[in-house]
Amino acid sequence: MVGLKIDGLPVRAAEGTSVLKAAELVGIAIPHFCYHPAFEAEGNCRMCLVEVEGLPKLELACSTAVKEGMTVWTSTPCVIQARRDVLEFLLAEHPLDCPICDKAGECKLQDYYERYGLFAGRFVEAKEKRNKKVAIGKGLLLDRERCILCTRCVRFLRKVTGTGELGVFERGVRAEIGTYDGVPVDNNYSGNLVDICPVGAITDADFRFKTRAWFLKKRPTVCPRCSRGCAVVVESVSGYPLGEGQRRIFRIKAGENPAVNGSWICDFGRAGRRDIDENRHVRVIRSAAPEEELSWQKGLAAIAARVRAVPGPERPGKIAVVLNSRMTCEEMALAKRVFAESLGLGKIFFADPKPGAGDGFLLTEERVPNARGAVQAGFSPRLPDLAALAATEILFIFGSHLLEHFSEEAVSRALAGIPSKFLFSAHTGPLDRSAELVFPIAVPAEKSGTYVNVDGLRQSFGRAVEPPPGVVPELEVLAYLANGLGLSRGVPDAC
Amino acid sequence: MSEDAVRLLPADESSWRLEAYVRRGGYEAARKAVASMAPQDIIAEVRRAGIRGRGGAGFPAGLKWSFVPQGGPAPKYLCVNADEGEPGTFKDRAILVRNPHALIEGMIIVAFGVGIRTAFVYVRGEYARIAGRLEEALAEARAGGFLGRGIFGSDFDLEVVVHFGAGAYICGEETALLESVEGRRGQPRLKPPFPAVIGLFRSPTVINNVETLANVPSIVGRGADWFLARGLAKDGGTRLFGVSGAVRRPGLYELPVGTPLRTIIETHAGGPPEGVAIKAIIPGGLSAPMLMAGELDTCMDFDSLAGACTMIGSAGIIVIGDRTPILDVLKVMARFYAHESCGQCAPCRIGTSWIHKIVSRIAEGKGRPADLDLILELADGMKGRTLCPMGDAAALPVRALVTKFRDELERAVSR
Repeated sequence: MVGLKIDGLPVRAAEGTSVLKAAELVGIAIPHFCYHPAFEAEGNCRMCLVEVEGLPKLELACSTAVKEGMTVWTSTPCVIQARRDVLEFLLAEHPLDCPICDKAGECKLQDYYERYGLFAGRFVEAKEKRNKKVAIGKGLLLDRERCILCTRCVRFLRKVTGTGELGVFERGVRAEIGTYDGVPVDNNYSGNLVDICPVGAITDADFRFKTRAWFLKKRPTVCPRCSRGCAVVVESVSGYPLGEGQRRIFRIKAGENPAVNGSWICDFGRAGRRDIDENRHVRVIRSAAPEEELSWQKGLAAIAARVRAVPGPERPGKIAVVLNSRMTCEEMALAKRVFAESLGLGKIFFADPKPGAGDGFLLTEERVPNARGAVQAGFSPRLPDLAALAATEILFIFGSHLLEHFSEEAVSRALAGIPSKFLFSAHTGPLDRSAELVFPIAVPAEKSGTYVNVDGLRQSFGRAVEPPPGVVPELEVLAYLANGLGLSRGVPDAC
Repeated sequence: MSEDAVRLLPADESSWRLEAYVRRGGYEAARKAVASMAPQDIIAEVRRAGIRGRGGAGFPAGLKWSFVPQGGPAPKYLCVNADEGEPGTFKDRAILVRNPHALIEGMIIVAFGVGIRTAFVYVRGEYARIAGRLEEALAEARAGGFLGRGIFGSDFDLEVVVHFGAGAYICGEETALLESVEGRRGQPRLKPPFPAVIGLFRSPTVINNVETLANVPSIVGRGADWFLARGLAKDGGTRLFGVSGAVRRPGLYELPVGTPLRTIIETHAGGPPEGVAIKAIIPGGLSAPMLMAGELDTCMDFDSLAGACTMIGSAGIIVIGDRTPILDVLKVMARFYAHESCGQCAPCRIGTSWIHKIVSRIAEGKGRPADLDLILELADGMKGRTLCPMGDAAALPVRALVTKFRDELERAVSR
């Protein structure tokens, strides 16, 4: 450990720590564009210059390592002037199209100008004209006028994905980011380029011009789309129902979790925003009378009555359940208590999305977040035997993934003879037709709970968005059912 | 002792061949170094001579070599900087053409002293034809047993690779040169680490200018005292002063460090042509802040020029006559730096371009009263704040020009 002073505050930091990071330890934010904690310092933006006592020139906070006894000042008149000058240089050739820029409101250039700039522009020359809409692949658009050449994107593609699709071309004021011979960005992590761009140079067609950053509520959660369990931030507006083409979830961005995903998420996880908004069930549907309004409480009460009508000893043979590994540990524990321990069922199956290809980095083959949680809850997840299902009288299906493993025909044939079959699903699908009642269920982003990731790491998360009115997580369904059956709900065990 | 034996540029233009070089005592210093000197003694002797880099920055060469870590598993490299991009500078090309073996011998000595087995000569792309002669000289040296395996019957090997630049001024900056040799976009690296520790291919690397290395055989062969006696006590040797612009006899003059500017310009270069008076002098390549005619008695050494707020740089002296409007000089200067900024860091990328745009506007007769102050402030915004020395190289000469010729420029602005 090394002891130094930053703005008069004593700081202790590990050897090799940069002044910029050491300052963060004591709550001093040093402005920067090109520095990113995931990469080696590049030193091209010159925004983080600070005064180090005993040195003749201002030094880069991002690349200067702490030294024993060092004294650093981050807000002297000299430093403030340097920041102003850097901002003035960057803004001179910047288009200042903030009113139509997606990044406005969360733009470092804009924020730093508010904080350290506030000068009147002195640049009266013609600005460089550049291409403002270069499609660089995967729905990403590059605006070369807004770009400040921090090269975070170039470094990300070289150092994180190793794909190196972007480079800097030309030199001087004509320098610009581009692809090599037009070969586009093509990897499963392209969305991170938008996240790390400090200005509005790289934007995503999926988000472009759809809303303003300041309207969005930003809540952290854990990505449910594979078993990695990456930290993500769901950015949404409130309001329901959604009209045609309207959005509630505007984007999913990478959260930070050094133990799991660092600062990155994959494009597959990012595309999960559609799962939250699209093809959702928002009310209970009775196939016999689809237009009928039915509350989920009433529906569940009817189900509980049917279950109660089956004498206890006959239940294991007559009632079956299909669960899924998207359920949280808390939901699994309650499912275990209700179905296995209280009702004594043996026919408890799992139907999960089929595994896909992993990418060797973050995305795993499993397309569910909590397969380990299921095992830890005491289940031995296995696919249902359709014949075993067909022999039952009451069937609970949580999730709609049966059809990924069996043909629609085989499933509907197996279910045809079952008198009572209930589907609990977030999304609409062909399985709906086979169920007597379909209950709308919250998606993971609408839940709080715990997942156990591929490496056995337990991660708890809170609700990132409100579910649509009348839509509840499995946990509430199970608890209500337990009540209706006169079972003790107990406190869900941690799995 | 023939004078040619100690001159960087022998008078006889045909004497570049190995045979002539050996005849005037060439490769004896390398033989002495490899056969009878300990590597650390070679470095010590060059350190004692205190020879300062001839490329521009003037860092003492022996000191630079001493920073290279001894031993270690990584290979070490020598990069010869023959990029010579500084406007007004044409000395290295003369060495490459007229005395290439002096460079090669200097390379052998430093390579042996530092423990280097592979050397690169980074030649600016515009010198492709000139480098043909260097290649010929290298072939002669290989055939003569001065390069390759087992030099002078020792176990010391040295291979030399000639690498061409592609026309970027910035590649004369040592770390940009390394990037370029490695096959990447030529732009400077953040320092530290310094190349002596982490340089070419992340290995310890010595980078020296052509003229610096061409001096090494004499230093090692004749000793540091001999070298120091030829210049100033603290700043020894001779330099190739390249004189261009408003003089009667432009050319290269090999003279002791510390020779007064007036002697170089008036005695050797013949002074300005008939009817022309000296208006300003750029003493060390375009990046050296200019001197006024009244500063002609400044001596051409590091300390004297630092005292005059400029530098000896590459010792390329550009004499500006009174018939040249100073705005024309500023235009050339501003255009050059804007054109050559690599674009990596913000102050240099935008600063050089902004200044160029202002100067171009003034030249179009659309000057504004605030322009000159703005140019000075932009130069201040670049000075000391950029990733590499080019920010200063661009800011300081512009600053000096605008300050020293303010009145003439004010008239151009208000035209």
